Amino acid sequence: MPRGSLSRPLTIAAAAACAAVMVCASVARAHEIGTTRVSVMFRADRTYQIDIATDAAALLEKLDASAGRPPSPETGAARLQAALAARDEIFRRRISVDFDGSEATPATEYSVSLQPDATSPALATIHLTGDIPGGARAFTWTYSWTFASYALTIRTDGSDTPIDEWLEGGQPSTPFVLSEAPGPTGRIGVAWRYFTLGFTHIVPHGLDHVLFVLGIFLLSGRARSVLWQVTAFTIAHSITLGLSMYGRIAVSPSLVEPLIALSIAYVAIENIFLAELRSWRVALVFAFGLLHGMGFAGVLKELGLPRADFLTALMTFNAGVEAGQLAVIGAAFLLLGLQFGTCAWYRRRVVVPASAVIACTALYWTVERFSF
Amino acid sequence: MTLMQSERPSQRGPFLSRRLVGLTLAAIALTGAPIVAHDMWIDPTTFFPEPGTIVGLRLRVGENLLGDPLPRDPSLINQFVFEDGTGRKPVVGRDGADPAGFVRAATPGVLVVGYRSNPSAIEQTPEKFNQYLKEEGLDAVAALRARRKETGVKARELFSRCAKSLVLTGPAPTGPGDRLLGLPLEIVAERNPYMTAIGQELPFRLVYDGRPLAGALVVAMNRLNPAEKLTARTDNEGRVRFRLTHSGMWLVKAVHMIPAPAGANAEWASFWASLTFELKDRI
Repeated sequence: MPRGSLSRPLTIAAAAACAAVMVCASVARAHEIGTTRVSVMFRADRTYQIDIATDAAALLEKLDASAGRPPSPETGAARLQAALAARDEIFRRRISVDFDGSEATPATEYSVSLQPDATSPALATIHLTGDIPGGARAFTWTYSWTFASYALTIRTDGSDTPIDEWLEGGQPSTPFVLSEAPGPTGRIGVAWRYFTLGFTHIVPHGLDHVLFVLGIFLLSGRARSVLWQVTAFTIAHSITLGLSMYGRIAVSPSLVEPLIALSIAYVAIENIFLAELRSWRVALVFAFGLLHGMGFAGVLKELGLPRADFLTALMTFNAGVEAGQLAVIGAAFLLLGLQFGTCAWYRRRVVVPASAVIACTALYWTVERFSF
Repeated sequence: MTLMQSERPSQRGPFLSRRLVGLTLAAIALTGAPIVAHDMWIDPTTFFPEPGTIVGLRLRVGENLLGDPLPRDPSLINQFVFEDGTGRKPVVGRDGADPAGFVRAATPGVLVVGYRSNPSAIEQTPEKFNQYLKEEGLDAVAALRARRKETGVKARELFSRCAKSLVLTGPAPTGPGDRLLGLPLEIVAERNPYMTAIGQELPFRLVYDGRPLAGALVVAMNRLNPAEKLTARTDNEGRVRFRLTHSGMWLVKAVHMIPAPAGANAEWASFWASLTFELKDRI
């Protein structure tokens, strides 16, 4: 008799044998698909319309439960429509229309229709409309009023090929790059956009990467030292960024992010005790570069890559990251290295205190990232 | 047989106030951190049809008895049947439609509906999978993962639904109540809920692969007060007993997970059993 305990190998083997028949009876498919459908239209006049079609009574029940109210026994189309419209403020709490990380506030309109088939439940259609913010680059959609999988379809004016994606309730969509709408920008536009995204991921958004690069710079005032380390770091992060984006490697961000912080702390601490470039330092920076590449991949996955120009976007993002790092080193060289790099007190008054500050910050991040 | 009920609804205070507490807790559940895994159950258009009428069988997926419709999906259905006094028949329906199935309540007595899905694949991050094991009381699997040092590893799972519902045709319960349909994981009400007064003890048996399953967490919740859950672990006979103190629709559920068979392209296989019925104020 199965006891619900998996501690006995024989039990496991027997259970697995039984399950093999039950589980392999058919090929597993993806998810349980509900009746909710969402379609998004981006128009040439820089407006958008999002249509959500869903079961009206089920939505009303969830809205009421969310607000701590007893369920409303509404059934007719007109009454359901009025009840949904009256709960607009509650409905908005669990949807997200996001342009470049900023929440948009669309206008809403509710309609409920009874389906021709008398046995089918009433269908609610919610129209969300608004203007696409000027300069907006990426659109992300989240709908948390369903527990089942649903289809999201994104269309743009003038395009015959909609983009479809299956989503779970509460799961953000893959960011839709608005320039994917047909236009004059094309591949050059994508390249420039991802180069910019890569650059801004370092300056101003990537303080951790900035501190790592400064750690590399601070080791020695000599150009040779910086050049070796930057080359090793660049090759390494390019490798893991590419492998991650093509799905060849996958390491959890919960592990990568704290290790990145730890790598910054290591480099900074070593600066305090080491004044010259050693071969192991280059090897270590290479290893740390592998880690940082996985971190860059995490960001790029969040941003999303246009399917048509995947390689272009990947390479230009990497180039943008590189440009951002070189900008940091260039600025540090102009401000510090060029003027004071050869001074006798440079190491004592600049390298050691700055490395200590970087190390403390990075150690704090390490603890913080391992904890959360 | 040992009674292992770990939580019982409070017997104090009017039901209305408890219901409001329940709704508030449901609201917290809906607005707070999402529950990782979702229940699936059968929600008939009525639990008390007149003989000769048609009953719609809605499939629902959700949490705290707040559900989304699952339309009829032939690629997911492994078995969708009902059994009444005249024997077992398939549940008919239109593909893509909600309700997913229809039955004619022909013979007076308890009509048992059973739905078994084909397995669906899901991959979860280690954090989400660990949380899900905790929520569903799958302690043995969590312990096995810990022993294998897999708690930081993502998990691929094949999950199958094994849902049942008890519908009472006619004014008075006659004949047998629930019965074993042969689903991989199945909850069987050992006493007819339609002949059980509110507050009387109802025994349920959890059966996996035709044999009682011991040590599994079984949860019961009422539609109007889903946050106030009754929970118990099955004894050596696979049995739990609940005292259902409220009228209305009840969902009794349990999850069982085993290592996936070799070649399944997943580490784990889970079976989700549910049983729905409605208690009247008076029998």
